[in-house]
Amino acid sequence: MAEVEAVVAPGETIAELDVTRAWLIDPASGREGPGEIVVEEGRVGAVTWLDGTEADGIAPDGVIVAPGFVDLHAHFREPGFEQAETIATGSAAAAHGGFTTVCLMPNTRPAIDEAAVLVAVGQAAAASGSPVRVLAYGAVTHGRAGEELAALGELADAGAIGFSDDGSPVRSAGVLRNALLYAAMLDLPIVDHPEEQGLTGGAEANEGLVATVLGLKGWPAAAEAAAVARDIAVLADVVATEPRARLHLTHLSVAESIDLVRRAKAAGLPVTCDVTPHHLALTDEWIAGARRYAWQAEGVNPDPWRDRALVAGPFDTSLRVNPPLRRPADVMACLAGLRDGTVDAIATDHAPHTRVDKDVEFGLAANGISGIETALGLLLEAVAAGQVPLGRVIAALTVGPARILGSRLPAPIGLNEGAPADLMIFDAGDRWEVNETSLRSLGHNSPLLGRALPGRVLLTVAAGRVAYLDEADPDRD
Amino acid sequence: MSLTIEPAGTSAAEASLPAPRWRHRHLLDLDGLDWSEIEVLLRTAEDMRGVLARPIARVPALRGRTVTILFYEASTRTRVSFEVAAKNLSADVVNITASASSVSKGESLVDTVRTIESLGANMLVMRHATSGAPYLAAETFSGSVVNGGDGWHAHPSQGLLDLFTMRRHLGDLRGRKVAIVGDILHSRVARSNIWALTAAGAELWLCGPATLLRGFEAWAGSWRGTAGGPDGRKGFVVTSDLRAALRDADVVMTLRIQRERQAGGLLPSLREYAARFGITRERLRGARPDALVMHPGPMNEGVEIAPDVAVGSGSVISEQVRNGVAVRMAILHLLSGTLAGSTAPVEGTARG
Ligand SMILES: [Zn+2]
Repeated sequence: MAEVEAVVAPGETIAELDVTRAWLIDPASGREGPGEIVVEEGRVGAVTWLDGTEADGIAPDGVIVAPGFVDLHAHFREPGFEQAETIATGSAAAAHGGFTTVCLMPNTRPAIDEAAVLVAVGQAAAASGSPVRVLAYGAVTHGRAGEELAALGELADAGAIGFSDDGSPVRSAGVLRNALLYAAMLDLPIVDHPEEQGLTGGAEANEGLVATVLGLKGWPAAAEAAAVARDIAVLADVVATEPRARLHLTHLSVAESIDLVRRAKAAGLPVTCDVTPHHLALTDEWIAGARRYAWQAEGVNPDPWRDRALVAGPFDTSLRVNPPLRRPADVMACLAGLRDGTVDAIATDHAPHTRVDKDVEFGLAANGISGIETALGLLLEAVAAGQVPLGRVIAALTVGPARILGSRLPAPIGLNEGAPADLMIFDAGDRWEVNETSLRSLGHNSPLLGRALPGRVLLTVAAGRVAYLDEADPDRD
Repeated sequence: MSLTIEPAGTSAAEASLPAPRWRHRHLLDLDGLDWSEIEVLLRTAEDMRGVLARPIARVPALRGRTVTILFYEASTRTRVSFEVAAKNLSADVVNITASASSVSKGESLVDTVRTIESLGANMLVMRHATSGAPYLAAETFSGSVVNGGDGWHAHPSQGLLDLFTMRRHLGDLRGRKVAIVGDILHSRVARSNIWALTAAGAELWLCGPATLLRGFEAWAGSWRGTAGGPDGRKGFVVTSDLRAALRDADVVMTLRIQRERQAGGLLPSLREYAARFGITRERLRGARPDALVMHPGPMNEGVEIAPDVAVGSGSVISEQVRNGVAVRMAILHLLSGTLAGSTAPVEGTARG
């Protein structure tokens, strides 16, 4: 049995940690297997990989140690929407999910379109007392309105890690082209939320069988694919003269988009992408009342009505998200993209909302899922179902996003001896129930409420300090 | 919100009905009903037609119960039909017309339903422009919710009254061809008819301009597969070929075309719609000579249906209205058996 012995206090530098006979995953060195790790006074003291008989009986179904996760896409709602989330509560939720670095989207109020707002976000993060690293994007355009460029250079000087109008796409191809060029000069990426809005006005759910039967306005796959194709075409045009330009496409959700990115990468274009945990497991069938994962519904022609898969009432607003939950076939394509490396990173698009914004009619409900705490659990379900190797999931949560952030990530990823400890420990064999008490986020808008997910996080250490400690079970040794 | 409370009168000539046995607390859609349950509804509606034929069409089935009718969309026909149905069952009826302004003032549907409940409502009949809204109401309301039409999603009482009307004329619908022509995409009537008519075994054709059929071919295709549809339903046909849809049809139902479809870029013009898809006497010759002509109302005469067809020999449009009262009486009566103080076993979820 693995043993975790620790002398820790939340928020403090971790005094002592001794994990024996666990499963270590270190995507930075490409190693994964039985091992032991010691942390002293916030630094990794020793990492020991076990071989032969020493390794007997240690499998990746119990205590697992991995580098702290990096979330490329989260909404902590501060400033402007503090009833939904604050930087402090969001950081606590992140640590509960195993994340030690988060990248916040700038669709706050005011938007992060000038340096002063970015500075205020940094101050709120420092004041929160959480060791979770809070990084942020600046807006691409002033007020995210899609017209004039935001203060890109000043934002870069203040530490912005890239630019995004997330919540909306960069509206015009012309603005995108200039933004890619200007951001390249600053050595920063443009992160686009791909959506051709001419096809998504009033959209409520993925265009397909479920939306047709439920009478919901469809959000067609073509709206994402058209935007991805536009973005890639503009990128190709820009890199012809400016090779430093970089485009990151966030929360891809349909098979066509994954395919377009796969081909663009094969053509050598500097494009990267991420997918959310919910788009890697859940489907639009959940809106009809099904509760099966995509791989359980996979088939030529899944139909939750015919398949007698409806076990809950329809129109649960916690499932309203943009881009919407897609068909099982799209989820399978996203999983394939994750396996073959087309998908660089898994990003949560953590989007907490208040009850007021969600306890309304489906078509009036705010878009978004509070997902930073349930990311690991959903992904472990995919792993358990044989859809993707555990090592690949951990890589897409650590080195994948780290490569996209490059030098803007303050510390290297990895279980590195001598370095400040930045790691998370979870028990893959222990389930925890998602409910209003267990969630640290103020946003309880999760379709997984009431469900037991695998992978209880035991400890998260960010920059040598304790970010999360599972107090439910102090008797780990 | 404006409130009108109209107490129900009582009559010495009332006759009682047998206590209903029904397991669903709400009627939100027809997708959760199996054929035997639909038959119970139709038989009960037949009983209610008997009640309506009496000199004093009133029974005490809902005496002491309050039925609140909450409509977020203008509708005279359905609202009055439910109101008459509830009064015929001796219920107290509360009518609430929630204007767009009460929504914009920020009173949420959940708040409104709580208010209605505290005012003593036992049953809530609801019409809303957003698909799924009655499910939200059903989560909050402790009594029964009847969906009087939600967005594009469902209009179960209309689907049942259409089925009831067809069965009165044609008997068993197995093998009978029913053509529904019009704006299928935005129609809750079409969706509820799909569930009702495929359960009845009818040969269903949906017809309209391609822009107003989008998605339905995939739905039909799903049920045409080897596994069929839910509960052994057969698929249905989706086409823009009006001639094929009407050929030898036993029933031709047209749906209202709204002017917004032109503004929304889905149709060049209502004139062009009328020219290509309007049901005229000439086109109706392709159907069976005794074909029923139906329309859920309100009609745009001269657009989706020619005036002489609307009042022609096969038209059962005004009978639909009369049957609507009987069917809604049946719905309210059956659901009332699930209310507190009643003895029937109940399924409590929004699916039930
Ligand atoms: Zn987005």
